[in-house]
Amino acid sequence: MKSFVAMLYAHLRMLMRNRILLVTSLGLALISIFVFGWLFGSGSGAQLRLGIVDHDASATSQQIAAQLGASDSLKVSRGSADEELAALRSGSRDAVIVIGAGFGADLSQGHATLQVYFDQSNPVTQASARMAVQSIVTGLNERASGRASPLALDEQAVSVHHLRQIDWLTPGMLGMLLMYANLSVGTALVAWRKQGVLRRIAATPLRQSALIGGQATARLLLSLAQCAVLIAVAILVFGVQIIGNWLALGLIVTLGALVMLSLGFVIGSFARNEEVAASLTFLISFPMMFLGGSYFPTENAPAFLAPIIRILPLSYLNDALRQIINNGADLAATQTDALALAAWMVVALLLSFRAFRWE
Amino acid sequence: MTTQQTRSPVAGDGEQTAQLDAVIIQAHGLVKRYGRLTAVDGVSFAIRRGEIFGLLGPNGAGKSSTLDMLEGIRPADGGAIVIDGLDIRRNRRAIQSRIGVQLQATSLFEYLQVSETIALFGSFYPKAIAPETLLREVALEDKARAYPQDLSGGQRQRLALALALVNDPTLVFLDEPTSGLDPQSRHMVWEQVLRLRERGKTVVLTTHFMDEAQTLCDRIAIMDHGRVIAQDTPAALIATLGASAAIECALIAGSVEAPISVDDLSGLPGVSEARLRGDTALIYTDRLEATLVALLRLAGAHGAQVDHLQTHAPTLEDVFLKLTGRGLRD
Repeated sequence: MKSFVAMLYAHLRMLMRNRILLVTSLGLALISIFVFGWLFGSGSGAQLRLGIVDHDASATSQQIAAQLGASDSLKVSRGSADEELAALRSGSRDAVIVIGAGFGADLSQGHATLQVYFDQSNPVTQASARMAVQSIVTGLNERASGRASPLALDEQAVSVHHLRQIDWLTPGMLGMLLMYANLSVGTALVAWRKQGVLRRIAATPLRQSALIGGQATARLLLSLAQCAVLIAVAILVFGVQIIGNWLALGLIVTLGALVMLSLGFVIGSFARNEEVAASLTFLISFPMMFLGGSYFPTENAPAFLAPIIRILPLSYLNDALRQIINNGADLAATQTDALALAAWMVVALLLSFRAFRWE
Repeated sequence: MTTQQTRSPVAGDGEQTAQLDAVIIQAHGLVKRYGRLTAVDGVSFAIRRGEIFGLLGPNGAGKSSTLDMLEGIRPADGGAIVIDGLDIRRNRRAIQSRIGVQLQATSLFEYLQVSETIALFGSFYPKAIAPETLLREVALEDKARAYPQDLSGGQRQRLALALALVNDPTLVFLDEPTSGLDPQSRHMVWEQVLRLRERGKTVVLTTHFMDEAQTLCDRIAIMDHGRVIAQDTPAALIATLGASAAIECALIAGSVEAPISVDDLSGLPGVSEARLRGDTALIYTDRLEATLVALLRLAGAHGAQVDHLQTHAPTLEDVFLKLTGRGLRD
């Protein structure tokens, strides 16, 4: 125990002195937050511009349009389908909702659908417009089937789902930070093996595994602290809201750090020298940073990339973080992501246990 | 070939206690294989408490592999090791908390200062010496806050020595403690090793420098190809040459018809052994003057020229040459 505490303390000290690690993890995430926050504005004035085309012209459709118009986070304009779609194409709408004929009648049956056109050119507004409309539809369906009338738009849900660029970016930066802060454990492991540190430890009564355990624990603690700093900046400087549960967020962050550490161990087990380990880490982390959805949404990626994206652990981590931070999801709602991450961790640990060499 | 007869290495009854007390390491029939290569091939020795014991041999002789097994870094593939009365297979960690180890060229943690590194290693043991005390001992007080990679080779070696002493061990292993060091640093390390013996510690070191072995070691095991080929005090090993001096020279032949042969050299007065490799002659003698005079006369008779004539007192290098036909650094 005494040696583990000393080991943990020494590792924390070493990690804090490792400037490259701090710059590539917290530094990169903070710079991104500031650049995107300032460049693309973080003011609350950025409303989602929604066009409504009402073919139904029933009492229900009138009511929906009026209530959407009353929402602070939406800037609603109405017109014909031609006018509104032209406005969408020219960039003056973020999304257009078309209420089809017979909508009011469908709604009373409990399966109403809205036709929605999105601006493809801006992924962030597209994502938030999609979420906003989906929440409207879900709300409408629930009310109709629950026979709870009169129809009312869930204002809370809409404003919650109205994402600014910075709101959407913050969880992605947390995911990226966790990846960079922990994946490089492999390079450290290879360096110790190569330089004979593991051999030297083997000549003491300490177990070599305590050295690795200390390093993993130190990185986990450091990751939690770095995430706390990043979240604090996002909240205090840019007013980002953490809508979900803090405990759930903490658990997903911890799981994310553990997954990335396990992947780092795989690299550390297979790489023969530090250069190979560093290159492997870069080869894995750099594409994953983009394909994993830290900076851009990946829903519109070309079809051939979709299977890759669907397998990346960072995709699941970012998704879980966004669910909690942006959508207020609880742990149960992030179950799929958590299971995928846990599966990654188990596979990675099995792989590294099989391939690990002390010398 | 004095591979010492060892008793059964298992710590035993009262009759053996007195002897076991004097012996701190009992190694018997050690074997280490790496794939098809047998690096250590049946090595046995007994190391006495309080002595400096040297494993001397060329690179690849199996010295470091032998140390690895004694230090518990690698298990032996055969044979037995008893240290301080404990069998290493059953008491590895207990033994490791009593020994100090300096490995060949260890780099340490990049971002941990010298005194922090010593404190960290100290935490691995039940009791530890304060970093300041150790740094004073190895003359590195002013480097306490430096990072290991910023130290010179000699300073790094002294830091490794400090780490080997952090648990105040009774037994210290030093693997090539002076390789790659300048003469001044070498002498500094030598002094420290001798001081360890003064403080009652047992030191086991490996080296391929015969002068180092001769200066430091009370007893030596000479290793070659994974075996111990001779084991005794330096003086006794040198005495096996049966000569008080060695003559080295080049014999440039004058006449091709009648070159000087090894037999001619062996037949000179006082000579115990002679070698001829190309035109370089190495002659061991008990009567230096008489041999020299006869050698010059022999050269004159053959019309040969004697060049680069040197004489020296026989060393462990000569012992190794006699045993293997090769030099230590061939």
